[in-house]
Amino acid sequence: MAPEPLLRVHNLTKRFGQLVAVNNVSLEIAPGEIVGLIGPNGAGKTTLFNSIAGLYPPDAGRVTFRGCDTTGMLAHKMCKLGMSRTFQVVKAFDDLTVEEAVRVGAYNRHSEKEVAAKVEEVIAFCELTEIRHHRCGDLGLAPLRRVELARAVATEPVLLLLDEAGAGLTATELSGLMAIIRRLNQERGVTLCVVEHVMQLVMGICQRIIVLDAGEIIAEGSPAEISKNPNVIEAYLGKRAVL
Amino acid sequence: MERRLRTFRLLPLLAGLAFALIIPLLLGRNQYAMVLATTVLVYSVLATAWNIIGGMAGQLDLAAFAYLGLGAFTSGTLLLRWNVTPWIGMFAGGLVAAAFAALIGYPLFRFGIKEVWYALSSSALVEVLRIAFLMWSNIGGPVERYIPFHAFSLYHMRFASYIPYYYIVLALLIAALAASYRISRSRLGYYLLALGQNEDAAEALGVNAQRCKLQALMIYAFLAGMTGAVYACIYGYIHPSFFSAAQSTEIAILGIVGGMGLVYGPLTAAILLVSLKEFMRANLGSTLESLYLAVYAVILILIALFRPQGIAPWIRNTFARGLARLQGGKDGARAASARP
Repeated sequence: MAPEPLLRVHNLTKRFGQLVAVNNVSLEIAPGEIVGLIGPNGAGKTTLFNSIAGLYPPDAGRVTFRGCDTTGMLAHKMCKLGMSRTFQVVKAFDDLTVEEAVRVGAYNRHSEKEVAAKVEEVIAFCELTEIRHHRCGDLGLAPLRRVELARAVATEPVLLLLDEAGAGLTATELSGLMAIIRRLNQERGVTLCVVEHVMQLVMGICQRIIVLDAGEIIAEGSPAEISKNPNVIEAYLGKRAVL
Repeated sequence: MERRLRTFRLLPLLAGLAFALIIPLLLGRNQYAMVLATTVLVYSVLATAWNIIGGMAGQLDLAAFAYLGLGAFTSGTLLLRWNVTPWIGMFAGGLVAAAFAALIGYPLFRFGIKEVWYALSSSALVEVLRIAFLMWSNIGGPVERYIPFHAFSLYHMRFASYIPYYYIVLALLIAALAASYRISRSRLGYYLLALGQNEDAAEALGVNAQRCKLQALMIYAFLAGMTGAVYACIYGYIHPSFFSAAQSTEIAILGIVGGMGLVYGPLTAAILLVSLKEFMRANLGSTLESLYLAVYAVILILIALFRPQGIAPWIRNTFARGLARLQGGKDGARAASARP
């Protein structure tokens, strides 16, 4: 018998008016995996993410996380249960310093007495020491994405959902981010699911990739398999490219 | 370094407190000055309490005098009907106001009423309460209900002089500042600041926004309700006009102008603006009746244009820069740019 998956999404559907953004999607994520979720613009990746993470409830289907039915559960409860996320469009706490933003996350599992130590640890882990006293509102995109990752890490998630964490980063910034993500997975055993457009990041860190197009899963497999899959190439580049 | 900084921050606070304590000794003979000082303090307490829901949690509340009025009517009615001392009435008033806040806040936050809609709902609340108390002839009604006069009665919290009231409200202010300071350094404070800036992001980090906002609203209402009990004794009557939408808005203005989310912001604004307004009203009121309001409005517009972060950060930074210049060197300059 296969080990119990950490996250199981069963026949999930989410509509916005007439538009079916996610159509009958099922997937499983095992503990310790790094799964990539890719697909062209408008494929429904972020919608799937938001439905899983509790930003809004799905119209049909079930989500099971750590053995609990979490369909439509509110985001803060999901976070307590061990699922945290970052946002595609950065949602910063402009008037807080980096340190304070991380502290908000650290309170999730730590009391008033322990919280400072946790903040120190996460700031060191995510390499934010130099900018720890800066206002988030004064930061550029790359450090902001790192702060978002850090405050999510501070909640001590079992499963971390990263929504386009690499978008808009330079090659150097990207490799720094990938190193942190890899260490998170290897040293702390955090399971990750990343929605990503940046292929360098997906191919570099994911063990398994799920491809979404027009709200449905069209392919699934290792990075090498996915890059050769004709369905995937078609979805990204159109029919003639396959020939 | 860290310790030195802390002493410097404590210094103005202690100086301010000492000054507040001796004000009645300096101005005690001048009845008008004491009325003014007490009024400034009442506004300071309300604005400091407002800062918890308005500044930290970012909910534009316009109902300060709804909770103040509830406190005033609770304490006043207890005294008039059952001769309960306002010292107990104060806490009863706070509790009634907080309970009412919970009753109103629960559905509002449950159904995600925020931003302008929250502002409108809270503003309507004041008006609804005013009319309800006008109609409720057993408790309110259109005629003032006078609280019996005593030249000096601690039990009835009635005094012929303003000096005892001044000290009572000062104690409330210190309590409000202490509560506000403690919250700002606690989990609730960080959660409120976070959700005030981005509710979705805060929720994703495990913040139960609905519960935090409700807690903030109840603490604020409790403090406003307590103030209401003293307010009734100062004025010597209770009347539905206590539920004033205009004055409620003024509290929010003080909180915003002072600097959102800063513990001392609303206090700074209340001291400067309320004294200025009352001074202008006393001096310009006789020449051209509402001129003071126009001048007041111009001052607010200037602050909004040139100091949108509020006047407290501006004053603090100027103070810190001056301090840095005195100390000289890099240490001082860094201290000047650090957040509180």
